[in-house]
Amino acid sequence: MRRAYKNDAGISVRYQKVKKDHIRLRLGIFLALAMLLLLGALFARQLCPYDPNLQDYSNALQPPSLAHPFGTDRFGRDMLSRVIMGGQVSIFSTLILVAVITVFGTGVGVVCGYAGGLTDGVIMRICDVCLAFPGLVFALAVAALLGGGIQNAVIALAVVSWPKYARIARSQTLTLKNSDFIYASRLAGCRGWQIILRHILPNILGQIVVTAVLDMGTMMMELAGLSFLGLGAMPPTAEWGSMMSSGRSMIQTYPWVVITPGIGIFVSVAVFNLLGDTFRDYLDKKIA
Amino acid sequence: MKKYVILRLLQMIPILLAITFLSFALMRIAGSDAVLARMENTGVVVSQEVLDEARAELGLDRPFLVQYFVWLGNLLHGDMGNSYISGRDVFSTFISKLPATLLLTALAMAMTVVISVPLGILAAVRQNRFLDYVIRIGSFFGNSLPNFFVGLLLMYFFAIRFRIFPVISAQVSLQGAILPALTLAIAMSAKYLRQVRAAILDELGKEYVTGAAARGIRFSTTLFKSVIRAALVTIITLMTMSIGSLLGGTAIVESIFMWDGVGNLAVDAINMRDYPMIQAYVMWMAIIYVCVNLITDLSYRLLDPRVRLGGVKP
Amino acid sequence: MRIKKMTSCFMAACLIAAVLTGCAGTQAGEASGEASGTGESYAAKSDGTGKTLVFGDTTFNPENEEPDINPHNAYSGWACIRYGVGETLFRYSDTMEIEPWLASGYEQPDDRTWVITLKDDIYFSSGRKMDGAAVKECLEHLIQSHDRARTDLMIQEITADGQTVTITTTEPVPAFLNYLSDPYGCIIDMDAGISDEGIVAGTGPYTASALVSGERLELVKNENYWNGEPKLDGITVLTVTDGDTLTMALQSGEIDVAYGMPYANYPLFENEDYTFTSCATSRTFFLWMNFESPVISDPAVREAIAMGIDKDGFVNTLLGGNGYAAAGPFPDSFSFGGSQVMAKGYDPQEAQEVLEGAGWIDSDGDGIREKDGTRLSIRWLTYPSRQELPLLAESAQATLGQIGIEVIVNSTADHNSIRTDTDQWDVYASAMVTAPTGDPEYFFTTCCLDSSMVNNGHYHNDTLEALAAELSQTFDTKARSDLAVQMQQILLDDDAYVFCSHLQMSMVSKAQVTGLTAHPCDFYEITADLDIN
Repeated sequence: MRRAYKNDAGISVRYQKVKKDHIRLRLGIFLALAMLLLLGALFARQLCPYDPNLQDYSNALQPPSLAHPFGTDRFGRDMLSRVIMGGQVSIFSTLILVAVITVFGTGVGVVCGYAGGLTDGVIMRICDVCLAFPGLVFALAVAALLGGGIQNAVIALAVVSWPKYARIARSQTLTLKNSDFIYASRLAGCRGWQIILRHILPNILGQIVVTAVLDMGTMMMELAGLSFLGLGAMPPTAEWGSMMSSGRSMIQTYPWVVITPGIGIFVSVAVFNLLGDTFRDYLDKKIA
Repeated sequence: MKKYVILRLLQMIPILLAITFLSFALMRIAGSDAVLARMENTGVVVSQEVLDEARAELGLDRPFLVQYFVWLGNLLHGDMGNSYISGRDVFSTFISKLPATLLLTALAMAMTVVISVPLGILAAVRQNRFLDYVIRIGSFFGNSLPNFFVGLLLMYFFAIRFRIFPVISAQVSLQGAILPALTLAIAMSAKYLRQVRAAILDELGKEYVTGAAARGIRFSTTLFKSVIRAALVTIITLMTMSIGSLLGGTAIVESIFMWDGVGNLAVDAINMRDYPMIQAYVMWMAIIYVCVNLITDLSYRLLDPRVRLGGVKP
Repeated sequence: MRIKKMTSCFMAACLIAAVLTGCAGTQAGEASGEASGTGESYAAKSDGTGKTLVFGDTTFNPENEEPDINPHNAYSGWACIRYGVGETLFRYSDTMEIEPWLASGYEQPDDRTWVITLKDDIYFSSGRKMDGAAVKECLEHLIQSHDRARTDLMIQEITADGQTVTITTTEPVPAFLNYLSDPYGCIIDMDAGISDEGIVAGTGPYTASALVSGERLELVKNENYWNGEPKLDGITVLTVTDGDTLTMALQSGEIDVAYGMPYANYPLFENEDYTFTSCATSRTFFLWMNFESPVISDPAVREAIAMGIDKDGFVNTLLGGNGYAAAGPFPDSFSFGGSQVMAKGYDPQEAQEVLEGAGWIDSDGDGIREKDGTRLSIRWLTYPSRQELPLLAESAQATLGQIGIEVIVNSTADHNSIRTDTDQWDVYASAMVTAPTGDPEYFFTTCCLDSSMVNNGHYHNDTLEALAAELSQTFDTKARSDLAVQMQQILLDDDAYVFCSHLQMSMVSKAQVTGLTAHPCDFYEITADLDIN
C-alpha cells in the first residue's frame, strides 16, 4: 500500500522524512550563501582589487583580461571593482525597500482583512489610489521634492509598492478569517490583536515571504529604472541596475559592460529566491 | 450581487477624484511645464514674452486650483481637452492608441499563462528534483534581466540573426506584437511561475491531499480536481493584478519596439508635462485598476465559496 | 507508471492554460482582426515600384516640437527643410555663410528695408509659380501664426511686385537674412494650404503624400523640381525614438539611413557596408558658473575648474571621438567660432598652483582643499536626457577631484526649476544650440547679459554689455564676426562659462546610399542628390 502510494503521488511518508532533513541542510546552505553575499556587500570596499572610481582613459573599454577579469568601462574603471561596490548599494537598498514595504503592507493588509467594515473600506481605497497611480508620475514628483539619490528612489518605490502586500495579506486573511480555529480562539476569548499575531500572521507568512524574496530582483530593476529619471544612484556611485541601463547601447559592441552587473543581479536574485523557497518549505514542514 | 457591483463601481468616483487631483498636484510640484519642456527639447531659448504667451494660451498662468477645476468641469461635459504638445483632442488620441496596447496586453498575458501555469505546476509536482531546479533557474534569469535587455536580445536574434520578425513593428499587427509581447511575457512568467509553484505546493501540503491518497485516489485526480482548483484563487489574484500593470506599464517595451500604444504615449506626456494627456492616462489606469479588482473579487466568490462577499459572518 | 502520470499531468496543465488563454485569445484575435489589414513591413515595401529609400530619424516627433512638416507650426520647419519638402529664400553655405537659394539676390536701401529678388523659374509642388505674391502670403501667414518668427523678424510691411519682394522692419534687424534662412522661413504655397495632417506644398525635391505625426512621413518625387531631377521615386521617413532600435533596424536592413544613433553602436557600422557622414553642430555642452555662489565667485576657483576639465579625454574617450572639443560657444565651421578664441587647456598642474596661490590648501589631508574653514566642494547640476551630460559630470568629478575640488553631482530631470534658484547649485552643465540661425548675437542676448532671460549664473561684465549693444546695431558680417570673437574672449577670460564640446551630428547609411552629406547647420539632409544604388 505504502509503496503504491509513493509511486502514485510521488510523496511517501518515508520520503517526507528524508526531505525534512534535506530541508534543514539546504536552508543552512542557502542561508550561508546569503550571508556571504551580505558580508561581501558589507566589506565591498576591502574586496575591490582597484579603486572603483579611478578613471584611466588610456585603459577604457578593455575586454576581460587577467588584470581586469570583468573588463573596464568607458571611463577605464575596473568593472570587477564596480560590480563589487555596486553590490553594496544594490543589495542594501533593495533589502531596505523590500523590508519596509513587506512589514508595512502586511500589517495594513491583515488589519484590514480582519477588521473589515469602514477601516477596511477606507484603507483599501487609499491602497487603490496608490496602486492605480502611475509610478512614473510619482517618482518625478519625489525627485523634485527631495532631489536625486538612491534613498529617495527607495522612498518613491516604497510608496507605490506597499499596497501590493496589503492586498495579498488581506485576501489571505479573508480566507483564514472564516476558519474554525479562528472561531475557536475567538470563542476562547482571544482579542483581535492576539488572533492576528498568533493565528493569522504565522499562517500567511509563507506566501508573504515568497512574494518578498521574489520581489528582490524586480525591485532591483525598478530602482535602476528610476536612475533614468535622475532619481536613482548619483555618479560616481556604482549600482547594478543603473550600470546596466547606462550601458544598454553597448550590448553589441562592449557586452561585458552590461553583462557583468547582470551577473551580479542574477546571482543575488538566485540566492535570495532559493533561500526564500527553502525557508517556505521549512515553515510548511514545521507547521505540519 | 448586482448591488455589490454597482456599489463598487460607485467607489470608483472618489478614487478618480483623488487620483486626478494628486497627479495634477504632483506634476505641479515636479516643476517645469509643457512650455519649458518644449524649449529644453529643442535646445533653443525663446524670450520671456513668447513663454508667457504660450503659457497663457494653455491656461498655465492661472492658479493651480483653477486649472484643476476648469479641467474637471470640462470633463463633466465630456471634454478632456487638447494635448499641450500636439494640440489634438486628448480623448480621441488616447482611444486611437488603445487597441495596440490591448492587443499587446492580451497576447503577453496569454503567453504568460501558457508558460507559467504548466511549468509552475510541473515544478511543484517535481519539487526539489532536477526538473524543478531547471525551471527555477530559468525563472531567476527572467527575473533578473531588465526588460530592455530581454527586448534587445530578442530583437537581435529574431530580427537580425534569423530575420523572422521585423525590428520595427511599423503598424499594429499580430506579427509585430509577438516580440514585444514575448519580452513582457518572459519577465512575467518568471515571476508567476514561482507564484504558481508556491500556491500549488501550499495546497499539496494540506491534509486533504494526504487523505485522498490514503483513500487510494489517484494523485493526478487529486491534483486536477482539487489542488489546482484551490490554488486558482491565488493564481487568479496575481494574474489579474498584473493585467492592470501591463495595460499601463508597457512603456519601455512599447518604446523599444516602436509599438504605438498608450504606454508610449504616457511616457512622452510625462516627459513633456502634457497635463491633459497625463490626466487621461491616470484616469485610464484608475478605471482599469478598479475593474480588474472587481473582477478578482467576483472570481473569488465563484472559485472559493468560503469567501462571502463583504466578509459576512456566518 | 510515473511517466504516465507525468504525461497526464502535463497535458492537463496545458489544457488549463488553453482554457485560461481562451478568453485572452479571443480578445487578441479581435484586436488584430481590425489591425491586420494594414499590417505591413517597411522592409518589404522597398521592393515596390521605382527607387525608394527609408530614412530612420530619432527626432521627428511632437515631443521635439516637430509634429508635422508645416513650417509655421513650432519647429516643424526643421522637418520641412530636412526632408526636402521646403526651401528658404537664403541658405547657409558649408562655412555657414548666407547665400541665395530661392532668391537670386537682395539689396538693402536702408537699415530697415530689404529688397529681395526671386529666381524666375521655380514652381511649388502644387503647380503654382513662386512669385512675389506667393512669398508675401507665406511670410504674412508666418508672422501671424508663429511667435518666434514674429519676434525675430520684426516685419512691419511686405509688398510684392512680380519677382520682387520688399520687406520693411519696425527696427533694424542685422541678422534678418539669417532669420529668413531659419527652417520656419520655408516658402510654401498658401493657396494649397495646410492639411489637417500638417502637409504643405513647398518647392523642394520631394512632396509629402502622407504623414502620421510621430510615426512616419511618405515622400514622392517632385517631378517639376527646379534644381535638377530628384534621383529617388519615393522616400519614407520613419520616427524611431529609441536609439538601439534604430541601430538594429539599420542592421536588419529595414532602414537605409539612420539619424541619431547612440555613439556606442558606431563600431558596428565602421566597415565597407556602411558610410558615415558627420559634422560639428552648434549644439554645445558647456558649464555655467554661478556668480552668486560664495565658492564660485572666487576667480581662482573658476580658473582652476576651467583648467581642470579634460575636454579632449571627454571627447576622444568617453564620446569615442564622436564630438569636438570646444574653445568657445561656436564650432570651427563658423567664421567667428572655434580657434578664433583662446581657451584654457587641460592643465591640472597649473590649476593646483592657481588654487594654492589663492589660499586653497588641503590642510586636513582628505584630498579636498579648504580655505578659511570652507571646503572646496561644488554642487554640479545637470540632467540625464542628453547622454553626454552625465558622462561629462563623472569625468569632471574625477579630474577636479585630482586637483582637490570635490564635485557633488545632481543629475535630475527637474533641472529647469532648480537652475533658477542660485542657492541650489554652483556649476550647471547643459546642452544648448548656441547659434540656431548661424548668427552669434543670439547666444549672448539669451545667456550672458543683464537683460538675458536665462543668465542662470547672474554673470555681468560692463565691457560685454557695451559690445553687445554695438553688435545689435552692426550690419556688416565681418564686423559682427569680429565683435563676436571679442565677446567670446571676455567670457573665457572671466571663466564665466566653460565650453566643453560640440555635438557631432552623424548620419549612418548603407554603402549603396549616395549624395548624403551632413551640414554644419543640421538643416539640409534630403536633397535632389540623394540616391541609392
